[in-house]
Amino acid sequence: MTIESIQTEAGAGLRIDASAHVFFASDAELREYLGEPWASRGFPTPDVTHSLQLGNRYVHGSQPRPDAHAGSDPEFVGKVLFDEKGFDLAILHPMTVGVLPDWHLESAIHEATNRMLVERWLDSGTYADRFLGTIRVNPNDIDSAVREIHRWSGHPKIVQIGLPMQTQSPYGRPHYKPLWRAAIEAGLPIAIHNEMGQGITHPPTPNGITRTYQQLVGFQPLNFVYHLMNMIAEGVFEEFPELKIVFADGAIDMLTPMIWRMDTFGRPHLEQTPWSPKMPSDYLPGHVWFVNGALDGPGEVDFASEWLRMTGKEDMLMFGSSYPDWQTATIESLPSGWTAEQQEKVLWRNAAELYGIRVPANV
Amino acid sequence: MTQTEIPGTSTTTSVRVVDCDVHPTPRRGALMEFLDPKIAREAKLKGQGAENGLYYDPPDYHHSKAMRVDAFPDDGEFACSDPTLAFQQLVLDSGSDLIMLGPTSGGMGDTDEEVTAMAAATNLWQDAAWLNREDNWHGRFYGSICANITEPERAALEIEHWAGHEKFKQVLIHAEPRPSWGHPKYDPIWAAAVKHNIPVACHLGRGKHNLLPMSPVGFMTYNHDFMVTYSMLAANQVMSLIFDGVFERFPTLQIVFIEHAFSWILPLMWRMDSIHAARGNETGLSKEPSQYVRDNIWFTTQPLDYPEDKLELTRAFEWMQADKMMLFSSDYPHWTFDEPRWLAKHIPDQMRDAVMYQNALDLFGLPSQVPALPGQVKAF
Amino acid sequence: MTNSELAHGREHVVATVDEIPPGEHKVVPIGRYGVGVYNVRGSFYAIANYCPHEGGPLCVGRTRGTNVADESRPGGARETREGEFIYCPWHQWGFELATGTTAVKPEWSIRTYPVRIDGHQVVITA
Ligand code: FES
Repeated sequence: MTIESIQTEAGAGLRIDASAHVFFASDAELREYLGEPWASRGFPTPDVTHSLQLGNRYVHGSQPRPDAHAGSDPEFVGKVLFDEKGFDLAILHPMTVGVLPDWHLESAIHEATNRMLVERWLDSGTYADRFLGTIRVNPNDIDSAVREIHRWSGHPKIVQIGLPMQTQSPYGRPHYKPLWRAAIEAGLPIAIHNEMGQGITHPPTPNGITRTYQQLVGFQPLNFVYHLMNMIAEGVFEEFPELKIVFADGAIDMLTPMIWRMDTFGRPHLEQTPWSPKMPSDYLPGHVWFVNGALDGPGEVDFASEWLRMTGKEDMLMFGSSYPDWQTATIESLPSGWTAEQQEKVLWRNAAELYGIRVPANV
Repeated sequence: MTQTEIPGTSTTTSVRVVDCDVHPTPRRGALMEFLDPKIAREAKLKGQGAENGLYYDPPDYHHSKAMRVDAFPDDGEFACSDPTLAFQQLVLDSGSDLIMLGPTSGGMGDTDEEVTAMAAATNLWQDAAWLNREDNWHGRFYGSICANITEPERAALEIEHWAGHEKFKQVLIHAEPRPSWGHPKYDPIWAAAVKHNIPVACHLGRGKHNLLPMSPVGFMTYNHDFMVTYSMLAANQVMSLIFDGVFERFPTLQIVFIEHAFSWILPLMWRMDSIHAARGNETGLSKEPSQYVRDNIWFTTQPLDYPEDKLELTRAFEWMQADKMMLFSSDYPHWTFDEPRWLAKHIPDQMRDAVMYQNALDLFGLPSQVPALPGQVKAF
Repeated sequence: MTNSELAHGREHVVATVDEIPPGEHKVVPIGRYGVGVYNVRGSFYAIANYCPHEGGPLCVGRTRGTNVADESRPGGARETREGEFIYCPWHQWGFELATGTTAVKPEWSIRTYPVRIDGHQVVITA
């Protein structure tokens, strides 16, 4: 998809924020958008004690008003991302309240979230021409998810479909196929991100709940491994060659060892999965992207460039701030050892290509 | 396969390979005499008419049983049930000098009580059937104290019972039970191990239902994606051990992850250090997380996962300082067996001695000189 | 080898045709690891008894076909070309007996030897 209406400034310093998080200002505001019968129901808020954080959930100063959630005010966020941090464009990714047992309610919350995103962030406001959006759909309600994708796919500023990382079954399972078909028809990549709040999820680690936030926050982004390995073995990328998946919680550094593992172990297992006949790593290019995470390695080391090249990660990584999360990443903290070309790819080229963002030829 | 190399006149030889992952299997019914009589009786009854229960199946499972097919003895018993054949294939034909036995039967059972009983029986059986003078005439076999992690107090008693036995060199537990190892309920196990200065190893365990190890995003589909993600379990346990302060409580505790692969520890060390720095040491650690990995945690080499470009693997070994955390292992007789001669070629020159034998000699307190064996292959 | 005067150059008579019925094989002591001679539905093939992966004794492995996706079949897969592949007894890598290669990663191939039938005799060049 090409976004004709987006014209970025020419120049070497182009910067795309591939993931900024959007919230309702309050539970009350979500309920207003929802209307009855959903507005009177019980459901969590995005922030719950279950996340184990000892305070410090969002970057300092990110609340637009004392009574409004961080990431809820387009004017405030636009000022931070574009005027202060110098991004040219930002892909917005709304966070919701948890994977709810009542899938009707969950789908209604997603619909309200999408309407809010489009009305308040994409169709109006000072920075509307700089924001692109991710619509949220419910993988536990495939029919409505497909309808929601079709409903928004014509909107010029919707560039992505968002799914929760936490699932009852991994994304390789066949019942998700209508979602992949709809995404391809709409020409939209799928972004998978950890859902906030709480709900009907399996325990957050293979060993159940954790006792520290450190272990929880360390493990959560690694869950992409399960989805990716399962999708590869299930032949999702073979059956849907145009499907594009973005893992939006970071942890691309885990891709290299885990795909070595998948390849090495894959050679003898391919006989069991003839619907996925290639070596697992062959399915990565053109299908898999990552948003960088603030906690991703390797940091300031002399092999940073070499590491980014391994497994083709330099073509998969997109800078995303995750603003206003406490783990907000900054461009300044990226490894200085990357080549100029690698920096360009991460800061905008990979995102521009994936989201079909037209960039003036002289950039 | 056998290359014959007759040693000279010397009667002892230096240990060049210590294999830290070999799975002896009891001959049919052999455990019964060592098993608690109540559990033995129930096991017999439950076993009537019951056969294979495996459902994530490795390639050609019905024929291979997930084993190196040539490791089945001629008597119709299971792979690696015959100490003589194992000695022939591993020590003589492949050049492993010392063998750390890790029987999987010590973790089997459908209830906590059964697993504890099986661990105890397996230890008695190891002692009687593999570590005895007759079957271990060459002195190349060492054993593991199997202990049931889900009953920590009883596991500690089992460790107390065998610690100090000259042939039992490590404790063997499972990693998939909940909660993770940092929970203080497991402290009796770590305390017993530390008291006797004996490392604690874990092999791939397999729980039932959603205790498999279970992914947080639902069941994997195939043996392929399922087995690969055992590394995630180990990554989670590493984070738990460190952030829950196990090494603060037991600074000398040594943990060995067997068969969970290892190259993922490189990015995990980066991640843990970033978290630690970003959160301002909320967990009260006295060192950087990656330092505990180097000081307290070991990984076995099998499965060796390698990229298309082998140079990348060499670089990863260097960046993770593999010589400070790796131990050679073959996984004999499982189908994922890694040959020591093949494995040694992948280890950077300056790290090879440490990984192939020196780390294991130091960690387990094994002899560096052993009586020479005529006809033994030299692995490297 | 029973009738060595028939072997010329590096040719070896390794068996009579009757000795290796279809679906069977025989390992003969040629070279360092031996050579496996296979009869696949009347066609004879010879391979080194050595796996290029980690050096496993390849001919201890099982021969079978290869699997392909086929939606018309239960479970969506079917075995094809039954018996035409050898699978290593160690890590179950499969190789086509006729060519020594595989569809995936053809650069990892096994050694094969030309076989011809001379009357009742199986002759390989090795
Ligand atoms: S040695 Fe043959 S497949 Fe590994």
